[in-house]
Amino acid sequence: MKIVRRDLTRNGPGSVKMIPEEADDLWIAYNLIVAGDSVMAVTVRKVMREAASGGRDAERVKLKLEINVESVEYDKEGAVLRIRGKNCLENEHVKIGAFHTLEIDVNRAFVLRKDIWDSLALDVIHQASDPNASADLAVVLMQEGLCHILLIGKSITITRARIETSIPRKHGPAVAGYDKALTKFFENILLAFLKHVDFNVVRCAVIASPGFTKDQFHKHLMLEAERRQLRSVIENKSRIILVHTTSGYKHSLREVLDAPNVMNMIKDTKAAQEVRGLKDFFSMLSNDPERACYGPKHVEVAHERMAIQTLLITDELFRSSDVATRKKYVNLVDSIKASGGTVHIFSSMHVSGEQLAQLTGIAAILRFPLPDLDDIEM
Amino acid sequence: MPRKVNYGVDYDDDYEDDYNDDYDYDYDEEVEENGITAKTMPAKEVRSAKVWRCPICTYDNEDSMSACDICGILRNPLVKSNIQINDVAAPFKFNVPSPDDLVSSGLQSLKMKSKDNQRDTNIPVELELSAKDQESTSASVTRQRGNGVNEKDYAPTSGSIPGMPHRNVNTEAMSSKTGKVEKTIERKTASISDFTPETWMIPETVDGELSQLNLAIVGHVDSGKSTLSGRLLHLSGRISQKLMHKYEKEAKQQGKGSFAYAWALDESAEERERGITMTVGVAFFTSKKYHIVLLDSPGHRDFVPNMISGATQADAAILVVDASMGSFEAGIDATGGQTREHAQLIRSFGVDQIIVLVNKMDVVGYSKERFDFVKQKLGTFLRTCGFKESSISWVPASVMENQNLVANSSDSRLSWYRGPFLMDAIDSLQLPARDYSKPLQIPICDVKSQSQSQVSACGKLETGAIRPGLKVLVMPSKEITTVRSLERDSQPCSIARAGDNVTVNLQGIEGNRVTAGSVICHPDYPVQVACQLEMKILVLEISTPIVIGSQLEFHIHHAKEAAKIVKILSLLDPKAGKVTKKSPRCLLSKQNAMVEVALQGPVCVEEYSSCRALGRVFLRASGRTIGLGVVTQIIKTEN
Repeated sequence: MKIVRRDLTRNGPGSVKMIPEEADDLWIAYNLIVAGDSVMAVTVRKVMREAASGGRDAERVKLKLEINVESVEYDKEGAVLRIRGKNCLENEHVKIGAFHTLEIDVNRAFVLRKDIWDSLALDVIHQASDPNASADLAVVLMQEGLCHILLIGKSITITRARIETSIPRKHGPAVAGYDKALTKFFENILLAFLKHVDFNVVRCAVIASPGFTKDQFHKHLMLEAERRQLRSVIENKSRIILVHTTSGYKHSLREVLDAPNVMNMIKDTKAAQEVRGLKDFFSMLSNDPERACYGPKHVEVAHERMAIQTLLITDELFRSSDVATRKKYVNLVDSIKASGGTVHIFSSMHVSGEQLAQLTGIAAILRFPLPDLDDIEM
Repeated sequence: MPRKVNYGVDYDDDYEDDYNDDYDYDYDEEVEENGITAKTMPAKEVRSAKVWRCPICTYDNEDSMSACDICGILRNPLVKSNIQINDVAAPFKFNVPSPDDLVSSGLQSLKMKSKDNQRDTNIPVELELSAKDQESTSASVTRQRGNGVNEKDYAPTSGSIPGMPHRNVNTEAMSSKTGKVEKTIERKTASISDFTPETWMIPETVDGELSQLNLAIVGHVDSGKSTLSGRLLHLSGRISQKLMHKYEKEAKQQGKGSFAYAWALDESAEERERGITMTVGVAFFTSKKYHIVLLDSPGHRDFVPNMISGATQADAAILVVDASMGSFEAGIDATGGQTREHAQLIRSFGVDQIIVLVNKMDVVGYSKERFDFVKQKLGTFLRTCGFKESSISWVPASVMENQNLVANSSDSRLSWYRGPFLMDAIDSLQLPARDYSKPLQIPICDVKSQSQSQVSACGKLETGAIRPGLKVLVMPSKEITTVRSLERDSQPCSIARAGDNVTVNLQGIEGNRVTAGSVICHPDYPVQVACQLEMKILVLEISTPIVIGSQLEFHIHHAKEAAKIVKILSLLDPKAGKVTKKSPRCLLSKQNAMVEVALQGPVCVEEYSSCRALGRVFLRASGRTIGLGVVTQIIKTEN
């Protein structure tokens, strides 16, 4: 994300002009923009004009609009942000108060004006402008008959492809059928791999599976690369890592990120930190369940007693349109930071974030056990 | 009937115990009554039931149906077939119960059906036949739609149906709606009690004809399972000497001389190269008493899902244990040993008979102490799993040296052993009861696409019977297709019944509509499909607690799917099954609980109470089996 101009006061009003450079940045923008802010960008609007003869003429006009945000939508697959709101800037074609939807995609500049720039928003801006620390991992997660190709970014995980076939068993007269089906399966995965994995962007590619499927695929990949002279694969041979997981389903992504050789590559990235944080929480929950709690009520009670050491929270909670709730959570985060605790904000687009979201979206590891939490209704 | 044996402390038992306790006393006499009175019915019933051919799709419908099953066209001369059958049914016409009573009785009928299962095949047949009359008299009135979704608590039903004047009528009505009522998707609902097994479906007990036994071979990796299977096939004459020599030669060439016998089962290049089994190998051979289907399972941790798929079909199991120092300890290790996991899985499949083959005795010099040590350690564990002492056989042997397999051991060092050799132990296994008289259900374990619109699917028949020419329904893709031919053990056969392991060649269906995990069933009694269901689970040893949102792998018969825990409903007391705590925060090891699970894709399931094989669930995560469960209710069918 390129921050072009910054003009704001802490906990006060201000504006920032930024240009998203990749899909991740759009996600960050999605988290930043809430109802009540105003966004200005160049957009296209269909304008009706009265022609001399009386017929109406529709013309597409490019104009700069500033709208008061009412709702924001993020299209994951298309990587575009849709902001809907009422126009608030005087304009010759569009009346004030007319509804408009701004579509922000990559490399389109926009100016965000907020009433209050709280610490959280400032944090996000800061992180966004950080040039390094982009996880960018391509993972081919497979098992016999099923494959997912995922791209793990700084704050989002996108499923680029999902391939599923039925592979017959390999006994009796149909042994040949098994080989043929398997080869076809690998061929499909190879095509998808070539299409979605760009080694210029991605740091490394991980092939993960239970059993020996990954070795078989790796062998096939190398053979085909030699045969078809696929330069991108041949040059980046060393950047392909093999990892063992227990299944080919998406939730095994956690195990991929946990693997030591992958962990080294992405140590400093958000995704790895999130996985670690969640793992800590679960281990605490199993070893000493009274020192771990989840759910907004429990966490609040724990906070009142100054018991929270680590807070795990998803960014979804900050996206609520209700200003009061958002403020509450921001205050919670601020006070925990002030009292010396740590806060992990999980991106709900990552696997671990999804899992935390299932767990109500907010969880905490406590400094000391609180046995009476169990009695409080969740 | 072996399956009726009271199992012991096991989640499986609690379930059955519930049923047994509630319904044993009440139902007994009434069933007998009905059984006797209904006996005169069958002959007349069958004779008068005619079929009419639908003008549009040419499907042969039963007389009692007033609309075509396949295309839904109303029968043109809308004949009230009721009348005709009424005459025949005259002796049984008690006060016809009102539709409301039928519906409410139907809601309880679930429990009745479970009782049915445990009865002799005769009585349910007659009951069903008598029920058919009852059904047809009110055919136009109600088609039952009550099914598991409306399941109430298991309460004794006899006295609870309102407005039933005559006790006989009471039971008659209940029994008429006996059984699982399937909710059909596009077709009319038909009560399972309507199902009249045709004469060819019930096998005559011919003396001298061997019945089929499905035997699973499980155990820790490298314990000798594939080698054992290869040996048995060779010794029983299935594999010719020439073929065996060929395997030996090839194995020696690859430097895997000791795997020669295993190569009979591990046929793919991958398996031979690595020296392991990856998918379940199916082989047929014959012993003195049975046609045996061997299901040689992989022992490797990563392939446990394949082993689950294979062992679903098993009636009994051989647990192969490596007696050599260190290997046995590794297998029984609490954290990762497959001996342990396999034994638990096998038990939860409902297999209660197990033969423990202590293999590689030659390595430990056939020592009695080692054998006793293994027996004692493993015995305690098996007992905690729920196996009864009497249904475990212990056989020491050496597969490599062919000791104690098909004949008493010739080695003097094994002379201290007085028990049966392996084949004798296999022959002494009891066959479980087969459900011949229920509608057809075959869970498919493997699919091969022969050519355009021709597919062969293999699986074991759980219930019912099949023969070429029948129209069958494949769920969950809801396709109707015809059976072109049947094959058993690579030979064509004309009829296959419950318990048989067959390959069904289907006509008129695309390859991608049938996958492993689909179920072939009778078009009128389709298997239910679910995306969200409620289950009762037993949590095994786990390292991280299960919370809402936990993502797991859901294994049921041959299907597997990614799943998510949506709700943890309650904790149950393991002994009594009563609710101890509502909505717990998380689940820890060894707890029993009711949970709600959402699946990523639709899977064919049935409630455990109506069909065991389609109601057993295994939950796995991070490479370990973390829970065993049974389906209690289906909550959502479509996503």
